[in-house]
Amino acid sequence: CLLAAPAWAQSQAVSGRVLGSDSGALPGVTVLEQGTTNGATTGADGTFRLSVGPRASLVFSSVGYATQTVAVGSQATVNVTLQASATELSEAVVVGYGTQNKADLTGSVTQLSSKDVGNQPVQSFEQSIQGKAAGVFIESGSGKLGQGIRVRVRGVSSISGDTQPLYVVDGIPVLADNLSSTSGATNPLADINPNDIESINVLKDASATAIYGSRATNGVVIVTTKRGRVGATKFTVAYQTGLSSPTHTRDFLNAAQYTELLTEARNNNGSSAASTATRLRIIAGDQDPTSYDTDWQHQAFQRAPFSQYDLSASGGSEKTKFFISGQYSDQNGILVSNRYQRMNARFNLDHQATDKLTFGVNVGATRSVNNRLPNDNAFSTPMQIVALSPLTPVSDPRTGQPVGAIDPATGTYSTNFPFYYNPLLSIAGGAYTTTVYRLLGNVYAQYKFTPDLYFRSEVGIDFTNYNEDQYQGRITSRNSGPTNGFSYNAAQVNAKLVVNNYLNYHKTFAEQHLVDVTVGTAYEQGQVTGNNVTGTQFASDAYRTIANASSITAGSSFNNGGNTLVSYFGRLSYAYAGKYLVGGSARLDGSSRFGANNRYGLFSAGSLGWLISEEDFLKGNTTLSLLKVRASIGKTGNQGFGNFPSRNLFTGTSGYVGVPGQSPLQLGNPDLTWESTTQYDAGLEYGFFDNRISGEFDIYLKNTNGLALNQPVPLTTGFGSIFRNVGSLENKGIEFTLTTRNFVGDFAWTTSFNAAINRNKITNLNGPSILGSNLSRAQEGQPLGVFVGPEYAGVDAANGDALYYSNATMADGSLDRSTTNDINGATYVVVGNPNPTWTGGITNTFSYKGIDLTATLVGVFGNQIYDGGAQYYSVAFNNGYDNQTTDQLNRWRNPGDITDVPKAYLFGGNGTGASSRFVRQGDYGRLRTVLLGYNLPSSVAKRGYLQSARVFVQALNLLTFTKYKGWDPEVSTDYLTGTGSTSQNNINQGTDFYTAPQARTFTVGVNLGF
Amino acid sequence: CLATGSVTSCNNKLNVVPVDSIDAGNALSTSDDVQAALVGTYTSLQSIDAYGGYIQFISDLLADDGDITFVGTFSNPYQFQRKTIRRDNGNAQSTWGRGYATINRANNVLANLDKVTAAASKTRTEGEARFLRALTYFDLVRLYARAWNDGTPSANPGVPVVTTPTSTVTDANLLARNTVAEVYTQVIADLTAAESQLPASNGIFANKYAAAAILSRVYLQQGRFTEAAAAANRATAGPYMLNPDYDTEFYQGADLLANTAEDIFTIQNSAQSGINQLNVFYGEQQRGDISINDQLLNQFEAGDDRAGLFTVTTNQTYSNKYDAQYGSVKLIRLAEMYLTRAEGNFRAGTAVGATPLSDINRVRARVGLPALATVTLPIILKERKLELAFEGFRLGDLKRNQESTTDPTTGAPVAWNSPRLVLPIPLAEINVNPNLVQNPGY
Repeated sequence: CLLAAPAWAQSQAVSGRVLGSDSGALPGVTVLEQGTTNGATTGADGTFRLSVGPRASLVFSSVGYATQTVAVGSQATVNVTLQASATELSEAVVVGYGTQNKADLTGSVTQLSSKDVGNQPVQSFEQSIQGKAAGVFIESGSGKLGQGIRVRVRGVSSISGDTQPLYVVDGIPVLADNLSSTSGATNPLADINPNDIESINVLKDASATAIYGSRATNGVVIVTTKRGRVGATKFTVAYQTGLSSPTHTRDFLNAAQYTELLTEARNNNGSSAASTATRLRIIAGDQDPTSYDTDWQHQAFQRAPFSQYDLSASGGSEKTKFFISGQYSDQNGILVSNRYQRMNARFNLDHQATDKLTFGVNVGATRSVNNRLPNDNAFSTPMQIVALSPLTPVSDPRTGQPVGAIDPATGTYSTNFPFYYNPLLSIAGGAYTTTVYRLLGNVYAQYKFTPDLYFRSEVGIDFTNYNEDQYQGRITSRNSGPTNGFSYNAAQVNAKLVVNNYLNYHKTFAEQHLVDVTVGTAYEQGQVTGNNVTGTQFASDAYRTIANASSITAGSSFNNGGNTLVSYFGRLSYAYAGKYLVGGSARLDGSSRFGANNRYGLFSAGSLGWLISEEDFLKGNTTLSLLKVRASIGKTGNQGFGNFPSRNLFTGTSGYVGVPGQSPLQLGNPDLTWESTTQYDAGLEYGFFDNRISGEFDIYLKNTNGLALNQPVPLTTGFGSIFRNVGSLENKGIEFTLTTRNFVGDFAWTTSFNAAINRNKITNLNGPSILGSNLSRAQEGQPLGVFVGPEYAGVDAANGDALYYSNATMADGSLDRSTTNDINGATYVVVGNPNPTWTGGITNTFSYKGIDLTATLVGVFGNQIYDGGAQYYSVAFNNGYDNQTTDQLNRWRNPGDITDVPKAYLFGGNGTGASSRFVRQGDYGRLRTVLLGYNLPSSVAKRGYLQSARVFVQALNLLTFTKYKGWDPEVSTDYLTGTGSTSQNNINQGTDFYTAPQARTFTVGVNLGF
Repeated sequence: CLATGSVTSCNNKLNVVPVDSIDAGNALSTSDDVQAALVGTYTSLQSIDAYGGYIQFISDLLADDGDITFVGTFSNPYQFQRKTIRRDNGNAQSTWGRGYATINRANNVLANLDKVTAAASKTRTEGEARFLRALTYFDLVRLYARAWNDGTPSANPGVPVVTTPTSTVTDANLLARNTVAEVYTQVIADLTAAESQLPASNGIFANKYAAAAILSRVYLQQGRFTEAAAAANRATAGPYMLNPDYDTEFYQGADLLANTAEDIFTIQNSAQSGINQLNVFYGEQQRGDISINDQLLNQFEAGDDRAGLFTVTTNQTYSNKYDAQYGSVKLIRLAEMYLTRAEGNFRAGTAVGATPLSDINRVRARVGLPALATVTLPIILKERKLELAFEGFRLGDLKRNQESTTDPTTGAPVAWNSPRLVLPIPLAEINVNPNLVQNPGY
């Protein structure tokens, strides 16, 4: 019959297999009948099966691959090979409040997929993308688990404000406040299961970020979680297990060397042979000093197993799609007692109620338990154990107890044996646990008025319940005080509400004019509240909670007052003929953080792009297959400060033994407003030989003005600093990426390379330098965090004194290079820079049949590290009895000796002052990940009723290439960078202070799909 | 608010006010507000960077010539003991900063006296604030400037004198150093006023005797012995008596809270308020950072109860003066007043209140030592040193008596007026304020 009767239209069965150009069978590819919602997802072996209507075309799409459309025609089997590509033009890129096609994009955005983040033995996803995104510098401060990670997109654009990017998960800006009670920051992003992540988009230039307005200066990281796809329900089960060890240990003196050098240091300070013999005996626990040769450093580390279990189910019908996952991960740290356990559950649901109305929910819930360690500047932190003498036994022969537990002479807990507190006592008799419950979720509804116009409303909450418990039993009393036990409990709630409403209009007019418009509003509010209690005097060490404390010694509550943000935003993009691109965006933000006069800020950006390869003269050119140029300019802000920096405040916390008191808290500045950054970006995207070679090149300049600077003021005012919009800094740099598909086919080999150069400079402080710890400071004309101090000139060959260059400016403008042994006589000069000159990464992926191998090498070059502990352990006993690094054996001994290690002199202070002596080169290259996997042929898998089966082995931080003599060059001590002062955090970069090395982890695992 | 689309309601959402602190404009409105600000000034003294410990500790370590050895693990105290202080020394900075924070708190009180309605209360409040400010200036000028008797006080740079509270910061806050003499003038003016304004009894807070006592310290430091003896004599007129046992003055087997009969002014501590850092440094059950050497122990006469306030172990000898973890820090004891009166009278050739001999014997009798028949200046000074050991007197006494101390690294003497015995103006402060002149040697 001739009646149009689609219900009876013949349907046709189609099946086939999808291969990836770089990795064999491609599971999880979405196969859609074009123009319908009829679709399927490929199984583990890349196969799919679908019924389609007549004259159907199939659209194959998968993140990281070129989308391909194939007309079915009369074929019953459609096999396709998708081209892997980092620069695929039709790929959807998640931008703020919507998505855009890569082809139409005029901003600088790096997109990463689940391939880059899943299944690694790390706690949070940022650790997985180290070295994979150009211009995104990621640094784990140490090998402690669950700690704060520093992520810097295109340099550091603030001195006193937040420098981390804004994180947005499924459209909702999420909490990233550190709630730790110590200055060792924890990482709120570790609450997100990396295996739930579908894609990560890093928005870098102003045209991409300006839609996030007052929080966009540091870049925006948009995380999208996995969603269900139409098709049969698919289950995956994964398990992996492994073991971690330190990347590197440091060489300290053994017992014989210690005795030799200490004896010399005591001889030099005039100690008698008899007193030295007595002292050595005391150090050895009143035993013959030759009795022991303890490797204390070894005692700080533990065998560190790792295991992780993942389970997920996804699937759905045309109307309802879901993704459910759960994970349990249990990772032991390389330092004694350090452990991180996490349980996650996620439920993502999309439901199409009518043709026009869709709604859904995305919820992730997490519980993590972190058995933590004190910060690096605590005597009780395991790494400080290296200070102990190798003459001292681990276990006191007089008592059989760990040394320091009980002084047999007095029957009390020793205060001076060993000469420092033994951190193992805190492990044996204490605990420090952080338990976090986090709920991060949103509901959305989307209404499609016409095929071109939809309205979307999102309501999200982010809720963190943070609990900290510390206990220190009697055995720790030398460190915690003679209080018969010490207990601390803190509970905090960090809650945030986000409401987004926006309209999107997307239409092509006359086939040439593509217009995409988004306008909307957002409202956010957040608040942190909490309280804490400290108790002492416990009946016995068996009682550990505050409830059993006989004396409550401290207690407080905390309420940060909250903050709100009211925003209006819009974005317009226009493409003519698919090759001339124009974009613009703006956001008006109102924030409670600033005074009534400066409450609203407007942030906007404009951009242009030209897809030259779409021009007639290049179209179809297989040699130059892609050429696009783009440029943008825009203004963004930073409001990452405390909630009330503009106010002149008093605090009532100054009571005096129970009598109420008050005192000034901070100086206000009613004119305080945003930090403002103008960013210029020019980019070029290229592809050769059908995109076998492709990549991007960007050059940018970020000028930050009106720094909301915590500016130091004379202490004679009674204050240390005031917030003012003064000063400016700049970041400028180049980013380069190159992906080459060296071999395609059965044997595939892809290489992705990226490199970035960033130059940071403080152009104007409008006042004095801001001093950080040690030599770190913010100084005009220099990069942030530059090391400024006395320049070490080696050792006076005549007498073994440490020498410093005078460096005074002479009448003719030159520097006085004469030397002095008085460190106060040395003019401070720039002696190092913790900012790398360039960073990069290279990832090679090989696959052959079912076998794949991926290796990522990362590199950080041109930076210096301040070895903060060296003033104690690399000074030939000039600062006390601390065990010394073996390089101190090269000390000056006799007149005429040429060396850079001054004379050994117990407590002599010779060369111990902070100077360039302790500044080291920090360059490193690291084989960050190596992953070898094998996918069982589906015929074999199916015999086990499985859709897919994969086994893999991987290594994290397998090899490190560096000249740095410390533990690990990827270092930033937590006690200086997680402090309450953001200025100090930003300035005190690149300092090592008994900081735990990174972990080298090996795991084996299996992924099963059924 | 965005749901309704009302701009006004959205604006209202932006009016978020702090809850854990209050706007300064509302902080000093009433008499009680000013009283609370005054109490907050005492709280500032509790800081370890003030009389919680470091002011006394720095003074004793810097002057020490081998009586004690710092064996702890902090690096700054080693610099004090070696008398080679670096200009970036953290304690030099925090003690300076804390001092001026205290002064600013006191200035806030003094600038708002008009809010105090009751006349008696107003007078007392002014007296307390001036006392606290003077006490702080006196210790700042002694730590950061040349001694009174070293050269010309009216020409030597002292420390900047600030007498108004800070509400904003401009270039006018880039102060130069006042002279040593100007600082002393300010201190004496404040203390003289305070002594007349303060009541005889004021609980744990400063009273007129405390003001007289600090005044006696100031005069003694200046070598104005007559005035020192007179001021000390006025302080002894209070309701004070020596504690029968020297050791229970410091430790009664439990934490101390209330002042003893001997205490004229103390910094109070409790488990919830303040930190006694001296307990941390000296306490055997704490860090035990200070090892007492035989050189000190040998100075005690046989039978001196004060020699019993030490614990000798095989590894180390400890002082027990600060064994009370939450013990109050004794800032002014009656014994000091007897010693100051004795010295002042002796040097001035007077006998205001009592003869030097009777004052010295009073102090000796309490610690079980036999009465002397005559006194000499060395006897008075030795008695003072042993009685007030570890209480922060060494540096001031060394300088005014022009004694020398010893470089522990080289064994060489360090003269009383050596620049090494003066703290650096903090490096951070020099960087911020170009009008400050650094001390010699830094």
